[in-house]
Amino acid sequence: MIRLEKVSYSYPDGTPALENLNLVIKKGEFIGIIGKNGSGKSTLALQLSGLLKPQAGRVMIRGMDTRDPSKLPEIRKFVGIVFQNPETQFVGRTVEEDLAFGPENLCFSPMEIRKCVDMALAETGLEKYRHRSPKTLSGGQGQCSALAGVLAMRPECLIFDEVTSMLDPESGISVMEIIKKLHRKGKTIVYITHNLEELHDADRIIVMEKGKVMLEGEPKSIFSDISLKTLGFDLPSLIELAETLKTHGVIIPWEKTASPQSFAEEICQLFLKT
Amino acid sequence: MQEPVFSYVPGASIIHRLDPRTKVTAVMLLGILTFRIDNFAGIVALFAFFFVLALLSGLPVKVFLRAVKPMMLFIFFIFLTQMFFTDGRPFASYWILQPSLEGLEKGLKLAARFIFLLLFAALLTASTDPSAITCGVERMVRPLPLRWLGISSFELATMMNISIAFFPLLFERVERTKAAQTARGMDFVKNPLRSIPALAIPLLRGIIRDAEELALAMEGRGYQGSRRTSIHELSMHKNDWRALFMLALFILFILIL
Repeated sequence: MIRLEKVSYSYPDGTPALENLNLVIKKGEFIGIIGKNGSGKSTLALQLSGLLKPQAGRVMIRGMDTRDPSKLPEIRKFVGIVFQNPETQFVGRTVEEDLAFGPENLCFSPMEIRKCVDMALAETGLEKYRHRSPKTLSGGQGQCSALAGVLAMRPECLIFDEVTSMLDPESGISVMEIIKKLHRKGKTIVYITHNLEELHDADRIIVMEKGKVMLEGEPKSIFSDISLKTLGFDLPSLIELAETLKTHGVIIPWEKTASPQSFAEEICQLFLKT
Repeated sequence: MQEPVFSYVPGASIIHRLDPRTKVTAVMLLGILTFRIDNFAGIVALFAFFFVLALLSGLPVKVFLRAVKPMMLFIFFIFLTQMFFTDGRPFASYWILQPSLEGLEKGLKLAARFIFLLLFAALLTASTDPSAITCGVERMVRPLPLRWLGISSFELATMMNISIAFFPLLFERVERTKAAQTARGMDFVKNPLRSIPALAIPLLRGIIRDAEELALAMEGRGYQGSRRTSIHELSMHKNDWRALFMLALFILFILIL
């Protein structure tokens, strides 16, 4: 679906952002990408969406090379990207107009545009804010609106670049819920974050460091990889707790570490058994 | 929150439903007309015309008051200068100032003209969604050879839209930068000269970064600066042609008057 072949990219000042990166993203996958500041993960997001072109190697999106300008409209229709700051993603005066921006660029007819906008509003639960200015929305609603703006173009693959890092935890969770719902509906999700906690349910996690893939695998194996700590990442607190309990001989199954509720239930179960 | 002057008031009146092109054309013509009128009968007729349109629009009176109020002082000043500095028969004498009857007449007319301009502009902006106005303007200038200037009508329309949408963000950034610099010991009251670069440089950097992020987001959503459609369906209905016909009749009537 999306394939990176030996992609390299350096910033104008010569600092390498991506080095010889190979990556395949399959249809319907939920991929988490994690890395520290300057690890190249945002550059990777731009490469995956075709907004940046590789200086060496190539990025193939559904068989289309991102360096081919004639394929760009088709690529934009296929991959959508949501950024960190909702404020600098708004172009419309009202939420409705903002959502219309993408379909308008695709030259849809006014009726089709309305349909796309209505669909995106329903998907994100923003119907009642239709005529509000996106600037008056809260951070979480604003990010939902930015997501809806991308959804209105009906992309099959969605890239999220640190979308929750400017939100309070509660709004972050509600945005995450929408993203998970979209994944269940069959969208391919690439989720970039600082926060390992958000990647518990991912199909695959990629750990980036200095423009390279350091670790790659299922969350279960990534979280238990000791090198994660040497790379400077904090494990989610529930995973950490489970690991500590393990050294005391108490085994908590991986599935139960997803939320405090399931974790507590498991502990109670174990407590009752003894 | 205080609503800004010339803001849109959603509604479904016959004026609201007119095509933005009809309304923009009408306001332009009426604007020219106000400055062609030279007698009080014309002014009365124009006011009657405005009154009917305002009634039809169903907009609250405060929309129009809000549009005129901030300019009142300026209009009053124009009125005074006209009254005192026009030669003619004086009707009173204050020290060296002698208001003349001709001046009074001229002043009143000029004040009325400015007020009409504001009223008609308020009627347009309150009854039309700003992006519909942009869309209408885009359609109207599309046949013009804008390519000479190196831009297309689509780019022009997007530019208008973005500036409207981006403006509040700009103010917010000014406030934030000011707060950040004050927190670091910059005194904007004592040191106004020194504080200008301290405010301007981070502000400029912030704005450029914002603009870059916005450009990236726009590109990500498929913007290419070329042909694009709009959610606003523009079509001239019977009512639009009727309105334009009536406007033409009215203008003729005023000119003959």
